[in-house]
Amino acid sequence: MSRLSEVLPRKLDLRFVGIALALTLIGIAMVHSTTSGTARGDLGGKQALFALLALVVAAALIAVEYRLLLEYSPALYSLTLVVLAALPLFGSRIAGARSWIRFGGFQVQPSELARIPIALLLAYLLERDDRKLLRTRTLLILCAAVFLPMLLVLLQPDTGVALTYIPFLLAALFFGGMRAKWWATLIVIGALAVGGSWFLLKDYQKDRIRTFLDPNLAVRGAGYQVRQARIAIGSGGIFGKGWKQGTQSRLGFLPVRHTDFVFAALAEEWGFAGVAAVLGLYGALLARAFKLAHDARDRGGAMLVLLLATNIAGEAVWNIAMNVGLLPTTGITLPLVSYGGSSLISTWAMIGLMLSVAYRRFVNV
Amino acid sequence: MTTPSAREDRRPLLVRIDRVAAGAWIVLAILVGVYWVHQILRGEEYARQAENNRLRSVPVTAPRGFILDRNGTVLAENEPAFTLLLYRKETKDLDRSIRFVADLLERPFDELKRRAERDRSSYDFVPVVLEDNLTMGEVSAIEAHALEHPELAVQTTERRVYGNGTVAAHLLGHLGEASPEQLVTRAGRSRPGEAIGQKGVEAAYQDLLAGVSGSRTYIIDSFGREVGESGRIDPFPGNTLWLTIDLPLQKIAEEYFEDKVGSAVALDPKTGEILALVSAPAFDPNLFTKRLSRPEWEAIVTDDDFPLNNRVLQNVYSPGSVWKPFMARAILANGIRPDERVFCSGGATFYGRFFRCHGRHGSVDLVTAIQVSCDTYFYTMGKRLGIDAIAETGNEFGFGRPTGVDLVSEKSGVLPSPEWSLKARKHPWYAGETISVSIGQGPVLVTALQLARAFAGIANKDGALPTPHLFHIGENIRTRERFVYRPPAKESVSWPPGARDLVVEGLWRVVNVPGGTATSVRVPGLDLCGKTGTVQVVAQKEAKKGHLLPEALRDHGWFASFAPRDDPKIVVVVFVEHGLHGSTAAAPLAAKLAAAWVGRTAGKPASVTADAGRAAGTR
Repeated sequence: MSRLSEVLPRKLDLRFVGIALALTLIGIAMVHSTTSGTARGDLGGKQALFALLALVVAAALIAVEYRLLLEYSPALYSLTLVVLAALPLFGSRIAGARSWIRFGGFQVQPSELARIPIALLLAYLLERDDRKLLRTRTLLILCAAVFLPMLLVLLQPDTGVALTYIPFLLAALFFGGMRAKWWATLIVIGALAVGGSWFLLKDYQKDRIRTFLDPNLAVRGAGYQVRQARIAIGSGGIFGKGWKQGTQSRLGFLPVRHTDFVFAALAEEWGFAGVAAVLGLYGALLARAFKLAHDARDRGGAMLVLLLATNIAGEAVWNIAMNVGLLPTTGITLPLVSYGGSSLISTWAMIGLMLSVAYRRFVNV
Repeated sequence: MTTPSAREDRRPLLVRIDRVAAGAWIVLAILVGVYWVHQILRGEEYARQAENNRLRSVPVTAPRGFILDRNGTVLAENEPAFTLLLYRKETKDLDRSIRFVADLLERPFDELKRRAERDRSSYDFVPVVLEDNLTMGEVSAIEAHALEHPELAVQTTERRVYGNGTVAAHLLGHLGEASPEQLVTRAGRSRPGEAIGQKGVEAAYQDLLAGVSGSRTYIIDSFGREVGESGRIDPFPGNTLWLTIDLPLQKIAEEYFEDKVGSAVALDPKTGEILALVSAPAFDPNLFTKRLSRPEWEAIVTDDDFPLNNRVLQNVYSPGSVWKPFMARAILANGIRPDERVFCSGGATFYGRFFRCHGRHGSVDLVTAIQVSCDTYFYTMGKRLGIDAIAETGNEFGFGRPTGVDLVSEKSGVLPSPEWSLKARKHPWYAGETISVSIGQGPVLVTALQLARAFAGIANKDGALPTPHLFHIGENIRTRERFVYRPPAKESVSWPPGARDLVVEGLWRVVNVPGGTATSVRVPGLDLCGKTGTVQVVAQKEAKKGHLLPEALRDHGWFASFAPRDDPKIVVVVFVEHGLHGSTAAAPLAAKLAAAWVGRTAGKPASVTADAGRAAGTR
């Protein structure tokens, strides 16, 4: 134990932890700013509590040998599928979707947590096919491994979370290696799926896409959110209106400002300076994760880090682009920053797994 | 536990990581760029939109200026009042809210509903005025239900109060909500729902009295709820308006008309300052301060006696015999000698028709003809003068056109001439009409105010025709700066040498020498000069029966006068509808007013006194 102060900094990637912690603290500050003084009450304290819980979960996962988790990933994955399949039967309905389980005073969103077993299974599968390019069989298994839980989540229905599984597949296929002709096929199938799904979309979903294409479509209607978010962002200027001074967010013009649109609130209060800083932090987080993957002891660990890091980064990019109206509004939150216990804990669990891989990069541990 | 293969070739994976990293930097750069465009290049535009989102400006009406009489007595002021506001955004069911108010305050539902939906186009968060002038009881009833009806709010405002009730109602006018037409003509100066002057000096001096509205800027949230105030511009209060009216004189006149229908106007012949202006019956201008319901409004507008009409300047009548002094000026200005006599045997025949006189006056000259009001004399002279000469003199005295008084809706009357006949009636002038016009009958029509102004042209030695006016002094209540009435270009009647003195002699004799038609109202020492007049409502034969006729068919009575003879200080014109004769119905009031005014102003000029200045200062 006496050597822990020497060993720990070398083994635990403190830079990675620091970046994630910084984003989490920014999140707590923004959740406090956007919810204090409102009818709903200040959620900043609750978010801080979630953060502590998340750190405990992360610490626990660092302690666990990730190889063990990889080995048991098929079982974990199967268990996850069972839970997701059963959810429509006993889940709590929130905002029209049966995607929550109640634990005492808390609600847990299994579809958020499901990202971890999915990532573990994909890493496990990729490790077992370590050729330059993936075998076709592996390709199909990978696709099935992602589409199966996605389908179950879509049935809840929670399109926003379901969409967060897609980056896993893309990352798995890209890092695993796939022929150009397969990529072409995938793009065609994807395009057809997007086109075909238009007919399956609910009216409000169609409206979102329409207003994404033209935010001025309806000032009070579906385009309202996008418009108000843009006003919030734009009116922030270079240095912003100051913490807790955002008129758009504090007067309620900005919708779901502590979750989906927390970045717009941040842009309003902290300006372009704050936006650049947060984008920089995500960039740094991703870059650091790539370094961890590079240094990973084995292919499985490297793949796990890559899958998890690109998933977090993809979610962040989508949310930030969505805030400024660059992509359609979906229920994708900003990882580590948006309010929400399940999201924060699952993201920190992912960080814990990555740190676990990094922690064991030296074979002789 | 399977051991990871150490032989694995990692190079392809590392290349892929580098590719993704490069792609990530590009994506990051795009995001930074997009936020740069919105926050820095278009930041100001969005900042403005954000301000529009959160700030709402609401006008604040300025306190309306007080109206005082010439002595500083308050005629119109403001007092605190309670207004019931409805925030449409706060109500889930508008009809239910209105029904609640209708039941609680016992007001008609439809009326309230109409008000609530009046200006829907404005911001939802701007409250609608549902009812003005709540009583304390009504205020506490509303407040008691504040929790169930958060959409209702009671606001303390100011309301116009006319402390003397119906006194001076017509000249003061009243306030009323700006009509859609007024909003167009007063574009930028009046807002929907704003109470503006609708009659009298309230209307004529609307801009002077209204002051300049201020505004309050509220911070509102996305539900339109007020969460704070971000700025205010205080309104600039309206100016105090001093009128030329003398309230004591006004009250004497109003008392006289308590049981009569008609009008009276008294003015200072030198300046044109209106000292009293009465139109009976009157209305209570306080009624209009609250929003009148339809039945209340109907009751006022359908009254047979038209209480809203200002009879002094909006009703035209035949002048009857009060026309004769003007005929006298025409006679003298056309070279007819005043001592030329006409024999009156009770009438005379012209153009084959007999024109009757009301008496047999024998041989009369000009002065006697005025004194006894001999029709035969004026018929004869009128025929000799012809209509053009009569019209020329009428024009000298300002008949046939507005006097220019500072009140709205003044009538012009009719000064007939052959040209007028062709233009207005599309038929030529009949010679016989000239005979009728000679005694103020026929097509000639005048207002009481025109008569008063024309009589000033007789009273003033230089024949000056003042412009009657009510504006005396305006006072900016912040700077104490005062601005006085500026008379327009001077007009006057040209009198041939000695002619005016003869006419004045005749008018003096009417009151002061036995045989005159109004000697019953003579006040020793007053030297009242006047002329009676009677306007036939039915044919002369019937009219002879006088009191036997139902009131609606009785003759109207005129009396036009000034006093004192040598230095006229007041002109009084009185008109009593169905009063039978000017000497009995109208002249007593003229004598009273003249006596009161001359008695008070003896030895001092008729202008604002030192007392008046003090009164304004202590308000």
